[in-house]
Amino acid sequence: MASENIIVIGGGPAGLEAARGVADLGYKAILVEKRDRLGGTPDEAQYAALTPDMRSAKEAMDEMRDAVTDNSGVELMLNTTVTGSEGELGNFVVKAEQGGKQIDIEAGAVILATGFQHFDPGRETQKYGYYEHDDVITLVDAEKMFTAGNFVRPSNGEKPKSVAFIQCVGSRDRQIGNEYCSKVCCGISSKQAIEVRHHCPDAKIYIFYIDMRMYGYWENEIYWPAQEKHKVNYIKGMATEILKQGDHLIVKGEDTTLRRPMEVPMDMVILAVGMEPSVGTKEMAEVFGVNKNKYGFIETIGGALNTVSTNVEGVFAAGACTGPADLEDSVSAAGSAVMKSIGAIRKAAVPA
Amino acid sequence: MMALDLSQNKYSDVSMEEKDRLFAEAKADERWEHVLYGCYECGICVAACPSARFYDFSPRVIAQAVAREDTDLIYTLMADSIWDCSQCFSCDRCPRKNSPGQIITILREVSVKNGLKSAKEALQGYGRIIYKIMLTGTQVSPDMLQPDAFPDWGTHVYEIAENLDDWRKALPPETLHTTETSWVIDDKTIIELYLIWHMTGVMDLISGVDEGLYDIIVDVMEERLEEAGYDDVTFD
Repeated sequence: MASENIIVIGGGPAGLEAARGVADLGYKAILVEKRDRLGGTPDEAQYAALTPDMRSAKEAMDEMRDAVTDNSGVELMLNTTVTGSEGELGNFVVKAEQGGKQIDIEAGAVILATGFQHFDPGRETQKYGYYEHDDVITLVDAEKMFTAGNFVRPSNGEKPKSVAFIQCVGSRDRQIGNEYCSKVCCGISSKQAIEVRHHCPDAKIYIFYIDMRMYGYWENEIYWPAQEKHKVNYIKGMATEILKQGDHLIVKGEDTTLRRPMEVPMDMVILAVGMEPSVGTKEMAEVFGVNKNKYGFIETIGGALNTVSTNVEGVFAAGACTGPADLEDSVSAAGSAVMKSIGAIRKAAVPA
Repeated sequence: MMALDLSQNKYSDVSMEEKDRLFAEAKADERWEHVLYGCYECGICVAACPSARFYDFSPRVIAQAVAREDTDLIYTLMADSIWDCSQCFSCDRCPRKNSPGQIITILREVSVKNGLKSAKEALQGYGRIIYKIMLTGTQVSPDMLQPDAFPDWGTHVYEIAENLDDWRKALPPETLHTTETSWVIDDKTIIELYLIWHMTGVMDLISGVDEGLYDIIVDVMEERLEEAGYDDVTFD
């Protein structure tokens, strides 16, 4: 028996937008989320402000959540984990577990929106001492501090006088296996550097980078203001390691454009960790038989012209489950997935 | 080409407080906010710079040192590198609209105002020009064409130098019938010029870099001013 419902798996930005879009077009979305609340990683990791417009992440996620809550076109299934799938385009039966109970969800098409996870800087390499030094934190830890409105050194609760961001941690690294650029970290570090400036007006703030990748309007909206107005120092050169010396951290690297080695004392170091496929993304790829790329992200097959179709007919993917993506990318891809999935259902329903 | 010597502590005899103070003075200049925005470190300024072709000089390094507020390095550059700039402002093609050349203008002014050794050394060869321009308001004069002054100008300078007066008198405008200054300067202009030097305090800059030159110039100026009835104008 054919179904015109569309199951959306994952309640982050891409999933929320996909569910809203399906409902807006007069179809029914079944939005499945394994956590007990919607909002995905921005919510779970307590992001403070969005890049580049500094809008409150909570406010933005509330707007997205509101659009699917009490929406007659969206059936919400929280605390629900997808475990299997049978059938094909027009006739999927998705197996799920909800509160210890097995359930079957019928759907004509599937949109995977299972997102990413932040790179764990303790994995593979300990060179930055994330689990060793209290004052070495990640962008994610910093977001939580900004959300709490209290940006201080974890070691002593004092405001830092010097802060260094280290870019490309877990990205663009053949040693680690993540050869790709995580796309958003340059912008987020620059955005956070501006937030650090608000908390610590007199601090020295550095960003150690390989390339600054601030495409489009991120250039003028984030990069230039950080450098020009907020006096953030961008230094091309990677840190090789972080050592502890007395109350300070010593960042060892090279100031490449001035051609001199650096060993600079810092009060705090923020590691710009990149994106990796989430556990859910890898699991759903297995469940639906969808191809993954060598990094474990879901592979889309249409190149630049179709960013959401997978090798399995009727199964689409949107957002950071297909690779590093910012909010704009995720929301745009979700819209595309809605269009493609409804199109696929309608074509399948036409008798041959 | 050798790399610029950017080693720190090259001038460890100068205190960090003094280096900070000099940089703060540069930053306080009202032009400062329009000479440095942010640096991509792209090197377009070096690519355009004629001095960088001939000297161990990089306008990019100037911009970077200043952007990083590395006062130790800035002092090192003030002590040497900034005097290699020809102030042509080819570097003004910067995509961020920085002007390393104007940064250098300001750093040079700070060096002169504070009588830094580098400023004294850099200006040493210009004593004669400073003397002339301060006392006459003109810089290049025909009598500089002496046979021994600029050997690289060639042998024809001998001939010209010999009959300089005649050559000048052959020029149609009467105001050019002089050899000591670029053109004839009347007394009123000279007195007004000296009064401007007096009122703007510009002589203090000269006393900071060349005390002997300062004394000579001031002697001449005070005498002329007294003759013109400005007995009360003194420079000390």
